[in-house]
Amino acid sequence: MITEEELDNLIICKKCHTLHKRVPLPPNKKAFCSKCDILLYQNNPNILNKTLALVIAATISLFVAFKFTIVTIDIQGMEKSLTLYALFMVILEQHQYIVGVMFIFLIFIFPITIIFSMLILLILMKRKKGGYLVKRLLILLAHIRPWSMVDIFFISLLVAMVKLFDYAYIELGVSFIALIFTLILDIIITKNLSFYELWNLYTKIYGGVNE
Amino acid sequence: MSRELEYIRCHICEAVNYVNEKETKCRRCHEEIAPNLRLSYHKTLAFLITAIIFYIPANLYPILVSKQFGKTTTNTIMGGIIHLWDAGSYPIALIILLASVFVPLLKFILIIYLLISTRHNLHSSKVDKHKLFYITEIIGPWSMVDVFVVVILSVLIHFSGVQIFPGEGATAFGLMVFFTMISAQSFDPRLINQQKGDTF
Ligand SMILES: [Zn+2]
Ligand SMILES: [Zn+2]
Repeated sequence: MITEEELDNLIICKKCHTLHKRVPLPPNKKAFCSKCDILLYQNNPNILNKTLALVIAATISLFVAFKFTIVTIDIQGMEKSLTLYALFMVILEQHQYIVGVMFIFLIFIFPITIIFSMLILLILMKRKKGGYLVKRLLILLAHIRPWSMVDIFFISLLVAMVKLFDYAYIELGVSFIALIFTLILDIIITKNLSFYELWNLYTKIYGGVNE
Repeated sequence: MSRELEYIRCHICEAVNYVNEKETKCRRCHEEIAPNLRLSYHKTLAFLITAIIFYIPANLYPILVSKQFGKTTTNTIMGGIIHLWDAGSYPIALIILLASVFVPLLKFILIIYLLISTRHNLHSSKVDKHKLFYITEIIGPWSMVDVFVVVILSVLIHFSGVQIFPGEGATAFGLMVFFTMISAQSFDPRLINQQKGDTF
């Protein structure tokens, strides 16, 4: 029979499902899969504080991104702005419930849920409190992460702007910049901290709490 | 039996679990890690068929409806791409073509291929199949680009004389992407490790 510690020292690559044995890494070093070169794990000291700072910044930029105007277009003196509020109004007015609800969940509700869950669980982990809540939040994150599409929304925004270029004068709003910040922060966070590492920290901090 | 066969990667917490018949919950997060393979196979297939059914109206019905002073014009996905190409917006036309036409088709073909290979020996490497599956999961959501573009345009082009609406095609397309993603998520990577003749 294999012990828990032995299992903890194993890792299966998320891309090619090859089984690897973990080796202790010196600080700031990374381990990659031998078959597909994807990042397996890393030794990143002080990871909780660093990530918490990034997540706080991401929370602010995501809030700004949805609070203010993303872009304003001007067609022969007539102006229209893209904001979350305008989006809600148009969906209600045009009765686009299925597309509208999908859109709001994918670009607004899921990203907000993810960032707030991250915020709460990092603070709890720093204080070594609330093991059960941390676990529930980590499970929630695993379920909704594939459904957050802020990055795809941003590319769509660029495509829409190119389509409008010939007809309208386009002015970028504060939220457009905030959206770029959110995406950059998101990339840095996911590069520095994989969920594999968060779960390992969870085991380290809370031990084998079976709640 | 190969070594990898005995270990399961939990899809929630990524912990390595050693499989035995009695324990089907992950040792760390206590989520289900060894669901019934037969059920996983049939769920994947059912959601895939639903997605393929939605793919038909998604392409036949207009994704974009525009009203200009009482005159209505509609655009299907292909119509929109041809329009963009004729207007000289080649990069955008290519992005939409890739995201809206190729990515969904690629995902359908890949899931069908993976499902067939669980039942018949196709002499393909397991590592390659795992990689293919990983790539399908990454590129899948990008098919939403065209639907998002239409929603953004419908908010911006919303004047008294000129308006843009998402058409029925957009709804069908959104649902198609949704069911394709659910289908891929229902697929248990353990199915790839099945040997020919293994019953599940
Ligand atoms: Zn690998
Ligand atoms: Zn688990």
